[in-house]
Amino acid sequence: MASTFISIAITLLIFIVLFGNSYDAFSQIGWDLFSLTWNPAKDQFGVLSMLYGTFAVTLIALLLAVPLGIATAIFTSEILPDRFRLYVKSAIELLAGIPSIIYGLIGIALVSTWVASIFELSSGRTLVTAGILLAIMILPTIITLTDDALHNIPKKYKETSKGLGLYPYEIIQKTLLPLAKRNIAGAVLLALGRALGETMAVMLLVGSIDKIPQPFFNLLSPGQTITSKLGREVGESAFGSLHFSALNAIGFLLLLIVITLTICTQLYFRKEARSL
Amino acid sequence: MKRNVKNIAFKSVIWTAALVSIVTLLFLISTLIWKGFGAITFDFIFSESKNFGSEGGIIYQIIGSLLLTLCAALISFPLALGVAIYKSEYIKKRSLQTITDTIVFSLNGIPSIIFGIFGLIFFVNVLHTGISWFVGSIILAIMILPTIILSSYQSIISIPISYRENAMALGMTQWQVIRTVIIPRSIDGAFTGLLLGLARAIGETAPIMFIATAFSGVTFPRSLVEPVSTLPTHILALAQQATNPQALENAWGSSLVLVTLVFMFSISALVRRIQYSKINY
Repeated sequence: MASTFISIAITLLIFIVLFGNSYDAFSQIGWDLFSLTWNPAKDQFGVLSMLYGTFAVTLIALLLAVPLGIATAIFTSEILPDRFRLYVKSAIELLAGIPSIIYGLIGIALVSTWVASIFELSSGRTLVTAGILLAIMILPTIITLTDDALHNIPKKYKETSKGLGLYPYEIIQKTLLPLAKRNIAGAVLLALGRALGETMAVMLLVGSIDKIPQPFFNLLSPGQTITSKLGREVGESAFGSLHFSALNAIGFLLLLIVITLTICTQLYFRKEARSL
Repeated sequence: MKRNVKNIAFKSVIWTAALVSIVTLLFLISTLIWKGFGAITFDFIFSESKNFGSEGGIIYQIIGSLLLTLCAALISFPLALGVAIYKSEYIKKRSLQTITDTIVFSLNGIPSIIFGIFGLIFFVNVLHTGISWFVGSIILAIMILPTIILSSYQSIISIPISYRENAMALGMTQWQVIRTVIIPRSIDGAFTGLLLGLARAIGETAPIMFIATAFSGVTFPRSLVEPVSTLPTHILALAQQATNPQALENAWGSSLVLVTLVFMFSISALVRRIQYSKINY
């Protein structure tokens, strides 16, 4: 069947094309890629601030979404009666499908103005705003996958723990969570992959300024992520220039990070992934 | 009664967290509906956009989005079904299985903006297609491949072995088995995957914004190599002029239309999946 080879060829082609076009940047800029200044006019292409931004935004999103998502999943799988579970779960899965551009719109029209007025900033487009929106985006994914993980634990574990006279919180803490640990970790990794690669919402909200905030933990200032940089500048740079090549190089870095994550998740999960 | 207190504390933490996430998600959807309904009129949906989108409607954006996605479906579906059949029927070696799995999952994990850059380099600059809606369809088709492959593969491996053995016992060749048993039995699952894929494809902005779309002055494309305008890129353009209240209102309206389209695809996929899971062989 030729279709398999076409698919494999496409995947390899993506790799080769991206690497081929970033080769110039790697060979001419070399280790200077990992510096601070990005100024195409002077052929300075430092990606550190974008790496920092990506890391910061993703971290904020995970810090918010993971505890909230896991707690909500405990609620839907252990506290909510089974009758409602199907409906709630279907609704959450639908929410997982809302296009990211719409999160961007909500962020820019509402959340960024709130952030600006709460923290008395001149502009609400900050790393924190992008992180919050990203957290809302990955929340449904974390909830449904964790809920599945908890729900697929055989009933007998729960019944045995109950028989030992444990309180509900002890059952969840000492029996269910440890058993579902692997699958929950898988869910988080999947969400992480999504958060890293997310473009539109982040691009509209992160502020798009290529520097690491001063001091570096001041997350209420604008920043730049890999994806927002790509989204903003790829259209402007000329094909074949060093600028374009440098953008490709950060795209390639992102691709490497995400693919490594995917392969790790796969090794870790070893189960057929769900398609939604 | 220390444990008792702990139990209550734990429960209230869970309830609060659940409440916070459910309220957040409800807020999201109700804002969309509330703001969107204010903007949608008959004229808005059925007229073309004027003055950089801040006036007029979105008919060509809707057509553009549908055209891109449906064409992506036509490209992707046969390809994905082929991969799924090949993976289940022809690949016997464990190591080859793992390699195909890894490739499919990697393809699934590639960030959408990377697809956009790939399309820009490979199609627009290397193959010199220019900005073209058809290229956008191809890229979207590549993006939704893994979703369709996985869901077709699931339904193929859930076909009982006895069906296959009966067909073989009738002296059918492998191709005949595939054509008369495997494909009819798995087409449902593949179709569900397709719907899920389309729900994703129609909302994507990043992969098509460099290669397939233009913002204003676009009508129905007359050839394969013309740009179209789509709902997501339209919203992007409007969101960037968010200080203009009229543009913002149109952005909300377009968002509601887009979400409705997405939900049409994903709800039918969900319904099919629920029905499908009730069928026992």
